[in-house]
Order: sequence, then C-alpha cells, then structure tokens
Amino acid sequence: MNTNVETFKYDNRIVRAFAMATIVWGVVGMSVGLLAAVQLFFPDANLNLPFITFGRIRPLHTNAVIFAFVGNGMFTGIYYSLQRLCKARMFSDFLSWFNFWGWQLIIVSAALTLPLGFTTSKEYAELEWPIDIAITVVWVAFAVNLFGTLVKRREQHMYVAIWFYIATVVTIAVLHIVNSMEMPWSALKSYSMYAGVQDALVQWWYGHNAVAFFLTTPYLGLMYYFLPKAANRPVFSYRLSIIHFWALIFLYIWAGPHHLLYTALPDWAQSLGMLFSLMLIAPSWGGMLNGLLTLRGAWDKVRQDPMLKFMVVAVTAYGMATLEGPALSIKSVNSLSHYTDWTIAHAHTGALGWNGFLTFSMLYWLFPQLYRTKLWSVKLANYHFWISLLGMMFYIVPIYVAGVTEGLMWKQFTKDGFLQYPNFLETIVQVVPMFRLRALGGTLYILGTLLMAYNLYRTAKSGQFEPETVAQAAPLASHAPASGKIKFHRLLEGKPLFFTVLSIVAILVGGIVEIIPMYLIKENVPTIASVKPYTPLEVMGRDIYIREGCLGCHSQMIRPFRSETERYGEYSKSGEYVYDHPFLWASERKGPDLAREGGRYPDGWHFNHMDDPRSTSPGSIMPRYSWLLTQPLDTNSLPARLKALRKVGVPYPDGYENGPAQKDLAAQASRVVQNLKQGAVTAESDREIIALIAYLQRLGTDIKPAPAPAPATSTFE
Amino acid sequence: MIQNILCRIQGVGIYGVISIGIFFAFFAGVLVWAGTRKKSYLKTMGNLPLDDGSQPAPSSKNHPA
Repeated sequence: MNTNVETFKYDNRIVRAFAMATIVWGVVGMSVGLLAAVQLFFPDANLNLPFITFGRIRPLHTNAVIFAFVGNGMFTGIYYSLQRLCKARMFSDFLSWFNFWGWQLIIVSAALTLPLGFTTSKEYAELEWPIDIAITVVWVAFAVNLFGTLVKRREQHMYVAIWFYIATVVTIAVLHIVNSMEMPWSALKSYSMYAGVQDALVQWWYGHNAVAFFLTTPYLGLMYYFLPKAANRPVFSYRLSIIHFWALIFLYIWAGPHHLLYTALPDWAQSLGMLFSLMLIAPSWGGMLNGLLTLRGAWDKVRQDPMLKFMVVAVTAYGMATLEGPALSIKSVNSLSHYTDWTIAHAHTGALGWNGFLTFSMLYWLFPQLYRTKLWSVKLANYHFWISLLGMMFYIVPIYVAGVTEGLMWKQFTKDGFLQYPNFLETIVQVVPMFRLRALGGTLYILGTLLMAYNLYRTAKSGQFEPETVAQAAPLASHAPASGKIKFHRLLEGKPLFFTVLSIVAILVGGIVEIIPMYLIKENVPTIASVKPYTPLEVMGRDIYIREGCLGCHSQMIRPFRSETERYGEYSKSGEYVYDHPFLWASERKGPDLAREGGRYPDGWHFNHMDDPRSTSPGSIMPRYSWLLTQPLDTNSLPARLKALRKVGVPYPDGYENGPAQKDLAAQASRVVQNLKQGAVTAESDREIIALIAYLQRLGTDIKPAPAPAPATSTFE
Repeated sequence: MIQNILCRIQGVGIYGVISIGIFFAFFAGVLVWAGTRKKSYLKTMGNLPLDDGSQPAPSSKNHPA
C-alpha cells in the first residue's frame, strides 16, 4: 500500500437529509398531481377554493415533482456518488447544508406562492422573481461545492457520471438566468422582459432543456454510478458512455423549437429543432443500451434484487421516452399530438418511469448502505414494484388513447367539408372516462411510493445510521505522471475547469445559433398597425388570467390548419403578440383556443360561464370561478404595472399611469357593466370579473374584422 | 398589412446548414477521440465506481445471497 495514503470521512448526513426530503416531497408532489387529475372529471373537487383549483395546482404539481422530488433525488445521488468518485469529502459542509436548507426553503416558497396565484406563467419557470434569485444563489452554492470537491479530489480521473453532473450545473445556470429575465412590479410579481415570439423561443429553449439537463443528464450520471454499483460490475462500454455524453449534451440544446411547431416561429428554426430531435435518438439509445447491457450475464440478480428491477424499468422507460420524443418532433406527427394529452402521456413515461423508478431504485440501494443493514422487506419492495408499474400503465395507456382521440376528433371533417365536432366540448366529454382511469393509475403509483416510505423507515429502524464513512486513498499529487507532457485526454477529463469550458461551448453553440436569429426577428417583426397595447382594464384582466392559470387548459395560438381556422378563426400572426409580456400561447387544450375569443360571445355569457361553466356549457369540465364575481379589482397597483410594462417596451405615454389610466379603466369597466345589463346581468364595475371579461373580449380583435362588444379605446391610442 | 414576415429574413436558411456542419464536425471528433482510447484506460475508468476506498457494509445486500 502507498505510504502516502490519507484517511478521511464521507459525509452521509447530507445524503440522508436529501433522501428523506425526496420521499416527503415525492408523496406531496404526486398527491397534488392526483388532486389535479381528479378535477379533470370532477371539477367540484376544488371545493370552490381558488388555492386548490386546477389552474393553480397544475404548476404546483409540475414544480413539486421536477424540482422537489427529482431535485432532491438528484442531490441525494450526487452528494453520495461525487464524494466516493472523487475519494474526498464534500468541499464544504456549510455549503452542503446551505444547499439543502436553501432548496427546501425554495420549495416551501413555491408551495405557498403558486396556490396564491403568484406565477410568471412560463412552464417549469413559474416561480416569481424573488424565488428566482434564491434559486440562483443556492445553485451557485451547489456549483462551488461541486467544483471545490473536484479540485480537492484524490482520484486522478473524472468518471463519466461527474461529466453529467458538470453539464447539469453549468447548463441549468445558463438556462435559468436567461429565461428568468423579468421586470418586477411588486414584491412578488413581474413581467417577462421578452414578448411574444421571443418570449416563446426563450421559454421553450429553457423548457426543453430543463427536461434535458434537470430530469435527464443528472439522472444519467446516477445511472452510470448506481447501476454498476448494484450489479457489482463496470458499465458495459465506457467508450460508448463517452460518445453518449458528448453527443447528448451537444444535441439536446438545439431541440427546443420542437415545442413550437406550426406556430409563428420561423419555419427553418422549426425544421432545425425537428432534425436535431430526431438525431437525439442515437445517443439516447446508446445510453439506454449501455445501461441494459451492463446487466448482461447478471439477469438472475434482477429477479432477486428489487433495486435492479426498478433500475431496468427506469432505463427502459428512458429508451421509450427518448424514442417517442423525437417521433413527436416530426412535424406531421406533432400536428396531431400538439395541445393533446399525448404530450402528457409522453411526459409521464419520463417522470413516472425514468425519474420515479430510478429514484426508487437508488433509495432502495442507499438506505441499507447508510444504515449498515439490509432492506427490511424485499417482499414489500416487490409489491411496490408491481403496484407502481401497474399504476404507471393505468396512467399512461388511457392518456395515450385520450390524446390520439382528441387529436383525431379536432381534425375530423364531414364529407361535406364541415367540422364533424364543431363544439370543442364534444371532444373533451369523449375522453373523460380516460381521465378517470388515469386518476386510478396515479393512485396506485402513490400507494407504491407510500409502501416504499414505510419499508425504508423500517429499514432505518432496524439498522444503525453511519453519519460518516471512513475511507482511505492516496492524495492526487502522488498520481502525477513522471514526464511533464500532458496529453489532451488527460487535460480533458483530469482538469475540471478545462472540461467545464468545453461543456459550456458544446451547449452554447446550439443556443447561440438559435438565439441570434431571435434578435434578427426582433429587428424585423413589423408592428401590425392595428395591434395596440392592452388597455389598463385589459392589463388587469390579463394578470387575473395568468394568476388563475387559465393557460393550463386554453391555448392562444391558432395553427395554420384548416381544422383550426374553421374552429377558431384566422391563424395567429407573430405581430399580434408584440405586447404580450409574457406570451400565453400555452401547450395544452382542455378547453378551446382563445386567441380569437373576443366578440365570440356577449359579456353576459362570460359572466355566467365564469360563475358556473356548466350553466352555459353543459358537461364542461372547467372549474367554477365564482370568486371573480365578488373579489374587488386591485386598481391601486395599476401605475406600477403600467410602468413596468413601459420599461420592457410597451409604448404607454409618459405619465399615462398617473391619472388618465385610471379614468380609462373606469370608463371601460362601466361599458362592460352596461353590456352586462343588456344581458340581464347586474354587476359592480370594480370586481375582477369585469377586467377578465374586458381582456377576453379583446383577444384577437386587433386583426378581426368584426368589432368586439366592449371596444377598447383609451387616450393613448 | 398582415403578413408573416419572420420567414423573410434574408439568408436565414444558412443557419440550418451551418448547424448541421458544426454538429457533424463535433460528432466526428468525439468518435475519433473515443475510438482511440486505450483499453487499459477504459478499464480503469469503468471500474471507478466499484472502488471508493471504504470498507463495504458486510450485511448491506438488498437481496438474499
């Protein structure tokens, strides 16, 4: 043995803390998802409370599962494996705990603010500006801790799992900062710096890569560490893992535009997004096969070890999701799947199968290690496996059926050339039974997770927690080559800084090539003469629309298909969105598109529809929004909102917010009240419903020939 | 005047060609680099997770032996 050998201790306390947080937030996040799922066939399950209504808890569910469940799972695995792969304790215990408590505080802030309606509305980036800053600070602490550990490591080489961790740290930092550029107008609210098409492109460049670099790359790192550990054999092909890593991080960043196919995004960018998405199959499947083939000759272990069972399903689900993702990026397939539940099914193949099962696998392996004992009940873990697998199937299969049914029904014409199902409601009523089955699947999945929580609790009780693990290794200096010549590959995987710079270059190439044209667009989008900024009352209404999460079910982007223009009207143009901070195109339709909603129905219809959607649309699954009829409109904050909008480029005249705006608001509100009177509806002009009706009646009317019932006029026009 | 002007940015199609070119050059480089690694190096790297310098827990197997 090397006489120079050093003795040191791995920190297990931080690993245990993150592991416990993973379990707790996992159950919470999944349960919120179940509540949202139930509301899709039983809208009254919101108990008429705004805080637990679908539009507000859908982002809570996605954020909880992505950032709380998977986020804590990622930290659990990284804090365990990084120390052991580096043969060093974490760089700083303080930073480790700062990371832990900071992250939990962010999650609690999200759990409070999202139900209260404080949201930016941008998917997976809904958290408002103070929380965005907190995320940045905690992420930087994590990065310093990670790179500090790499610097003080005793292992000469950086294993491929660490490459994936580095790519995760740097890319998430870049994505989060660029997409979170926003102009605050209150302590908890802001407007996006970008508008319309630019906002959409930045958001989906972020959104797609949040999936890539938060849900995929760190978990691939965990797969490359925990799978060989559990199978007690090296990965099938290390060479393949090198290709997997570089090809994956280079390609992923380009694929964002596949979320915007057939929208007002330039056609070349859409095609590029599609092409790079298709190419992604190669590295993804390379990685999947590398994982599965690691178990060659060891499949008997899979039969016996629940940890490996979960891992095999996780890796297979990764393969399925990464085959389906590129398929959905093909424009012709996307024309059918976009806005339907197919996307939800795809996302849950990844979330339930890949992230969920890999997390379960890791936790089943870790707890016996941390508590120096064996798993309390292998039988119970096997029950968990089968119940959750069944739950996953009951979730995904019905939702695929729902998605394809919706897509086909929306596009179905009669032989005379009319829409077969002109009423959107007909198409949604058709898939409600599938929503019920999905809730059953979700329930089973949660039940399995609870079994795991109990099993791990009993495992912990039966063992003795080891707060620190003693280890020995020679310091890095003793590994230095005798000659002074450093080869390129030693430089690459031996020098964290050099490696990080190369990774940043790899991810930035795609981002830059796609974002430069975005600036060109900014220079070139002509202002459509008839498109005007929103009036003060409409701004207030738009903010209510955002607060209630209406975009969880309603898109505002009519694609250039006859099936869409027949149903909704003229297809959407980029110039119509130049004052939309943020853009509200959305990616889901549980209700009809609203891009041309203005003037479609009288004000009174909207009033009654918001009070009780089933009074105007029998069978509707939309929740009631009766609180909008009674809650007063917060006009005091109008000046701050208009000022912030002017700062991000909306041309309100200087001083408009200091008087004329309030007058315009009052005048338009009384016009809406007059219109309501004509429909035999009595309402006060200072209620939120008035602002929302004004906004809905404005939508799409700038280039619509027929005037809206409540025409928008104001002094700045 | 309502038109989708975004499609009219002059010469924007070249971005697609450049993108594919960059990717293929990058991918070819990675293939060559990975292909020229020595077997001993790959073996050392592959075995890194299996040795973390600590004593394994004697009874920590999840499955019956």
